[in-house]
Amino acid sequence: MIPGRLLAICCVASLLLAGARPVHAHHSFAMFDHTRTVTLKGEVTRFQWTNPHALLELDVPGPGGMKHFTLELTSINMMQRLGWRSSDIKAGDKVKAVMAPLVNGEAGGLLLEITLPGGKKLEPGVPAAGTFKRTPEAE
Amino acid sequence: MRGLLALMLASVAAVQVLAGAQNPRPGVPDITGSWERYGGFFGAPTEAQRNDPTIPPRAPQPPLKPEYLKEWQARVQAAREADAKGTPLATNYTNCLPDGMPTMMGAMFPLEILQSRGQITIIEEAFTQVRRILLDQPQKRIDDVEPGFYGRSVGHWEDDTLVVDTIGVKENVRFQNTSHSRDMRIAERMHLVAPDILWNEITITDPVTLDKPWTVVYAYRRMKNYTLLEYVCEDNREFADQGFQKSTLGTEKK
Repeated sequence: MIPGRLLAICCVASLLLAGARPVHAHHSFAMFDHTRTVTLKGEVTRFQWTNPHALLELDVPGPGGMKHFTLELTSINMMQRLGWRSSDIKAGDKVKAVMAPLVNGEAGGLLLEITLPGGKKLEPGVPAAGTFKRTPEAE
Repeated sequence: MRGLLALMLASVAAVQVLAGAQNPRPGVPDITGSWERYGGFFGAPTEAQRNDPTIPPRAPQPPLKPEYLKEWQARVQAAREADAKGTPLATNYTNCLPDGMPTMMGAMFPLEILQSRGQITIIEEAFTQVRRILLDQPQKRIDDVEPGFYGRSVGHWEDDTLVVDTIGVKENVRFQNTSHSRDMRIAERMHLVAPDILWNEITITDPVTLDKPWTVVYAYRRMKNYTLLEYVCEDNREFADQGFQKSTLGTEKK
């Protein structure tokens, strides 16, 4: 059974993708790579509830040790209209995040989708999210 | 007794003020409330959208005079090329600056319209932008208005249409990336085309930059149960560096 709020988020996100609502961005998303995504599995160190963007700080273990990533989300106003709450993500949460990485190679990107500890998935409503080509998650 | 009378009179006055804030003049449409942009679609409109008479036609290209058209085209091309390189050009947003007029009426985020005695106030949620339309007051001369993001707006009702005149918008406040002069004038005609769909026909005139008036029409849909949210540009990690938008993502902020 899908919880009501999650269903609402999914529905609204689908509408956004379908172009049935006006979608605008406060800035260009050109600094993020539209040709691939990266899936990060790590621990949240901070979920920052601010405008013009919410931000998610993640520690991600890898072959070279722990690496820190900063992910940009959309405006918290847009996220609230999609059903997000500031309490949805907490420091210490183990999450899976799909991001469009920064073109410049720095350890950051644009969050497209997050899977929370309970398996719940959230999308921040990135305008034209469908234009970011998804890379299948590596096994 | 005198105290009780004063209290009663004060109560009556308070009720009148509240009533006045609701809808000041009988016969004037009630447009107070929250509105979202309707029909400003990303990508090509669907057939259903094309057949919806409450969705206005797409905005035409700005009828700029040749020298300004050339400059505008160069600006659009430069932005496109910078985007292709992954280094977008900085905009006012990069510096947390609001849209100003008339871009704010594009309602990127919801609008709130408040009708009160002698004034209509329009708030745009993003950046908490506020403009005031003074009703039934004469407009000043352009030279007598200090330039600002929203300019000076006066308006009046012509039957069911709110007619607004705005002057005094700063030259660095650009609409669709076009240049304008101090002599720019923005005329707006707002009217309901359906009980919950409001149109705003915006006509820009500028004897310096435009060959002829430029009209753009926006539609808004009433949001019956929506209260505008707070918006403060609190931690902007995008910044302008040599004209380009940069980000501090990837370098953790302590």
